[in-house]
Amino acid sequence: MTGRGTPDRRERVSSAVVAAAFGVSALGAAGFAAVYATGGQTQLEGLTLAVAFAGIAVGLSVWARRLLPTGGYVEEHEPFDSPPADLRLAAEALTGPESPVRRRGLLAMLGLALGALAGAALFPLRSLLPFDRQRPARALRTTPWAAGVRLVRADGTPVRPADVPDGTVLTVFPQGHRSRGDVPAFAVRLDPARFTAPPPGGTVAGVVVYSLLCTHAGCPVALYLQGTARVLCPCHQSTFDLLAGARPVAGPAARPLPGLPITVDVEGYLVATGDFTAPPGAGFWSLR
Amino acid sequence: MVTATRADSARRLAVFLAVLGLAAGPVPRPGYAAPVPDPGDAAPAPSSASQPSPAGPPSPTAPGDGPGPPAAPAPDPVASRGADLYLRTCASCHGPAGEGSQRGPSLVGVGPASVDFQLSTGRMPVDQETRQPPHRRPAFSAADIRALVAYVDSLGGGGPQIPTVGPGDLREGRELFLANCAACHSATGGGATLTNGLVAPSLDRSTPVQVAEAIRVGPGLMPAFPENVLGPEQVDAVAGYVQHLRGGRLDRGGASLGRLGPITEGLVAWVIGLALLVGVVRWLGGRAGR
Amino acid sequence: MITRWLSGRLARSLDDRLRVAPVLRRALAKVFPDHWSFMFGEIALYSFVVLVLTGVFLTLFFEPSTADTVYSGAYAPLDGSRTSAAYASTVRLSFDVRAGLLMRQTHHWSALLFVGAIVLHLLRVFFTGAYRRPREINWLIGVTMLALALFNGFTGYSIPDDLLSGTGLRILYSVTQSIPLVGEWLVFLAAGGEFPTAELVPRMFVSHVLLVPAVLAALIAAHLGILLRQKHSQFPGPGRTENNVVGSRFWPSYTVRTLALFAWVLAVAFALGGLAQINPVWIYGPFDPAQATSPAQPDWYVAWGDGALRLFPAVEFRVFGRLVPSPFLPGVVFGGLTFAGLYLWPFLERRRRRRRDRLAHQLLDPPRAHPARIGFGVGVLALFAVLLAAAADDILARILRLPVLHVLSILRVLALALPVSAGVVAYLVARALRAGGGRGIGELTRSDVRSAMRFGSRAGGVSTGVGDPSPVATAEPAAGSHDAARIELWRDPDGLWRWRYRDAVVVLAASQAYRSRPEAERAAATAYGDLPAREVAPSGGRTGEPAAMRERAGRIAGRAGGYLALAAVALWRGRRARRRPPP
Repeated sequence: MTGRGTPDRRERVSSAVVAAAFGVSALGAAGFAAVYATGGQTQLEGLTLAVAFAGIAVGLSVWARRLLPTGGYVEEHEPFDSPPADLRLAAEALTGPESPVRRRGLLAMLGLALGALAGAALFPLRSLLPFDRQRPARALRTTPWAAGVRLVRADGTPVRPADVPDGTVLTVFPQGHRSRGDVPAFAVRLDPARFTAPPPGGTVAGVVVYSLLCTHAGCPVALYLQGTARVLCPCHQSTFDLLAGARPVAGPAARPLPGLPITVDVEGYLVATGDFTAPPGAGFWSLR
Repeated sequence: MVTATRADSARRLAVFLAVLGLAAGPVPRPGYAAPVPDPGDAAPAPSSASQPSPAGPPSPTAPGDGPGPPAAPAPDPVASRGADLYLRTCASCHGPAGEGSQRGPSLVGVGPASVDFQLSTGRMPVDQETRQPPHRRPAFSAADIRALVAYVDSLGGGGPQIPTVGPGDLREGRELFLANCAACHSATGGGATLTNGLVAPSLDRSTPVQVAEAIRVGPGLMPAFPENVLGPEQVDAVAGYVQHLRGGRLDRGGASLGRLGPITEGLVAWVIGLALLVGVVRWLGGRAGR
Repeated sequence: MITRWLSGRLARSLDDRLRVAPVLRRALAKVFPDHWSFMFGEIALYSFVVLVLTGVFLTLFFEPSTADTVYSGAYAPLDGSRTSAAYASTVRLSFDVRAGLLMRQTHHWSALLFVGAIVLHLLRVFFTGAYRRPREINWLIGVTMLALALFNGFTGYSIPDDLLSGTGLRILYSVTQSIPLVGEWLVFLAAGGEFPTAELVPRMFVSHVLLVPAVLAALIAAHLGILLRQKHSQFPGPGRTENNVVGSRFWPSYTVRTLALFAWVLAVAFALGGLAQINPVWIYGPFDPAQATSPAQPDWYVAWGDGALRLFPAVEFRVFGRLVPSPFLPGVVFGGLTFAGLYLWPFLERRRRRRRDRLAHQLLDPPRAHPARIGFGVGVLALFAVLLAAAADDILARILRLPVLHVLSILRVLALALPVSAGVVAYLVARALRAGGGRGIGELTRSDVRSAMRFGSRAGGVSTGVGDPSPVATAEPAAGSHDAARIELWRDPDGLWRWRYRDAVVVLAASQAYRSRPEAERAAATAYGDLPAREVAPSGGRTGEPAAMRERAGRIAGRAGGYLALAAVALWRGRRARRRPPP
């Protein structure tokens, strides 16, 4: 160790630094209490508390580095192979004449009982499944969209074809099912002359409706690029071409967005004529 | 806590207003506003006097809104100023009568809101052809922008008028912003990446009128939101919430880290937090005699 | 006075009942190796403590429920909105509870530090071969803790029910759902139905605050218990063998050092928590399945999975007419392979080196000693770095002003090319270092590099000195390598026996005293084999230390107390002077 002055002087300086650091820490703690008591402010609270801990940290660090020895000790590290006598005695104790491991038949029955119990213990897991006892594949495949269900906006008002504007998309929901995860769809007005593939759900006066959920991981494809008639997913940048039946044109999505078949009811509002043309959102094993 | 918050927000508001005043101040760019008439571009000035007034009465808007709505009936000096500026700085791309060309789209019927948006955000005029001009300091003074708006409107009517923005409901603004804007501009207002190298810009410099104009016009790839999608009060609410998002007012937790989300947070955790701790450990765990 | 009481009455009364002295004596004398890289695990441990402390505070205010509530409070843009109770209580915690935001942010920052420190610790263990026999169990426990830390980080990030984390949760749901045959059932078991369900937040909450932390605490205890039993490994060096540990004693040196590190972790966590904003859920807004925000990334420690999802091409295929969706390969298979690889690594490597299958290793490898291991490790690290970058591809595209699809293509190429090239470079550098015996990359000579490139003959493997990977040379302290090495024994005035190791470079004192000479001799023989031992006169060196220590400690404590008292008086006076009627 190199340093100015004699070891004794060094030590005095070091202990003064340690004491000062602990003093600063106490001030920080008092500061935190004061900030809290006078109404609190996140940045000051964090700063004072950090100073309080940093004071202790600096003090202890200097203490450890300058006032305490480092290294210079050795401890023996006995090998981990036990003495043969110990091994033999342990084995004998485990498998001695009274040892339960000798009762093979009883052990087998005990194993059977425990196995059965473990199997039975799996059954309450069933309680974690949905209360309505619907099979997952069926639940994932269907949505509340059905023939005659009106398309409504987020605030619940029904939509006429004329309400679907040029130049933007309108997020729509099945009436009465605003907050379900699989229902969000969007309506958009496109020029039918530009279609390169027919929209799967059909069109009413240029209005087409698609599921809002990306077929990759289920994020809402809520970025509509006006003019290009494409929607983009913010999660993994999958892009869908609405003029080509919402075919994926970039990114990790592999299936087109499902369309929603629509028509107009007697009052002139847009209604679905059935469920999405395919299950919405991410794929799953039993998706046909 | 209430007092601290209030004092804090007052201070931030003051800074914010000062910055806003500076940013919105009329700073003409010499390249465009040089008062040298070009004799080669002497196209006949259309009779703008016959055009109707483009906007309603001037409205009370937030301070430092940038250019307000154009003044009622344009007197001759304004009209000729507008024509003059148009011919010198816009006509080369958009055509002498706003009919458009290879280099720029037609301006006939785009409406005052669009023209005011492009000019007041400094996106037009552009130095060179680019796919997406960025938000810059406007090239023209507020008066010149008014004159240009009136002139372009005289080339062909129609299109959205410059909206008047009133105070909006903050809660409704937040809900509408998240439902309609956050997907592209980010819930933080910081903007995000679109495809093909285009971006949805950050809203950090947008005034309420510019926000309202963009909502109605849908500049570039942005969807337009007509009145039957977002009513006037709803536009007011969104514009008000965007002002609330701007600056550091909502960054109660400290440094905003660009509001870019978990990636920058992870970077800070490694570059500051863990680097610091590794440094400490190197110091603490050094061997004796070193 | 306190110290005397502690060592006197309290200790005696405890010992009367528990007989702690023999255990305590050995525990206090435990030797910790002095190398900074051995403290990464401690950073993780102390981050965990910070997480528990701040987390307990948060549970007192957080409401784990998706029930509709109306938020009313200081955050104006949300005042009067209907949101889930989880989201409303998180905003209330941040805006209306004093010091709540500090605790929330400190909790989140410590989570990032926690996982980061685990990764650093894992890298140290990996590159020095510390996972080898007999420490495979602790490696398995460590990898399990890493997995649990990732999972708990994700659930903690998700329970506020905000828009950004809800999107992430939906992605995880979709990835799990993509598993063939059982995926649909798995997600329904975990979430109780189709996303989003009311059960999800309460279930994640129970897992986040009870199940996983309890398992983590148990595993930490096991990890440390095994460490105590097996003792530390150490880097090779003078006086170090396969049968000893050289370093500082637990008490007092290492105790003060590790407490200092604890205070540092607290200081850094609270400084970040107060000064740098993290996860501002009030800006993100409550979760709504029809809304999105962009850019959307998860926390860094799971972002590699998100990056894999972005990089992997749109590949979906059908098996027996059933669909295997596109997130399956990059999400489930890649993640599964990552952890399977981590779990199996010690056994895979051992299988490759059949020759020393059975040997226990207490001496670590210098990283350069195993070029293949370092090359593989660096390659995998490079792959994960590319994946992390891919998770931020949209942000990168914006910074670089490039189309995001170009950035993606570049990253795809990098994901294939960078791991291989980085791995090969690391492999060659390690070989060159091993051949040259230099201290660092800066000291490499051209001939070192040339010899590293020479394969066929074992040219790159022939080495001397520090980098020698051969266990035979290090396991036995051959007399030739310690020219003047010897053991010195002596009897202290109090009748206890001590010994020390001495060679030309170092003098190492035995960490504890022995009651008889044979005991001391046995310990020395365990540590150093049959080195010549001889009795010497007692030396004052280390024995006078405790008295000086006590004196020093007393001085410091006295001075600190004085400053504290001064500060308290000043504060009290200030308060009195400023006392005013309450508003």
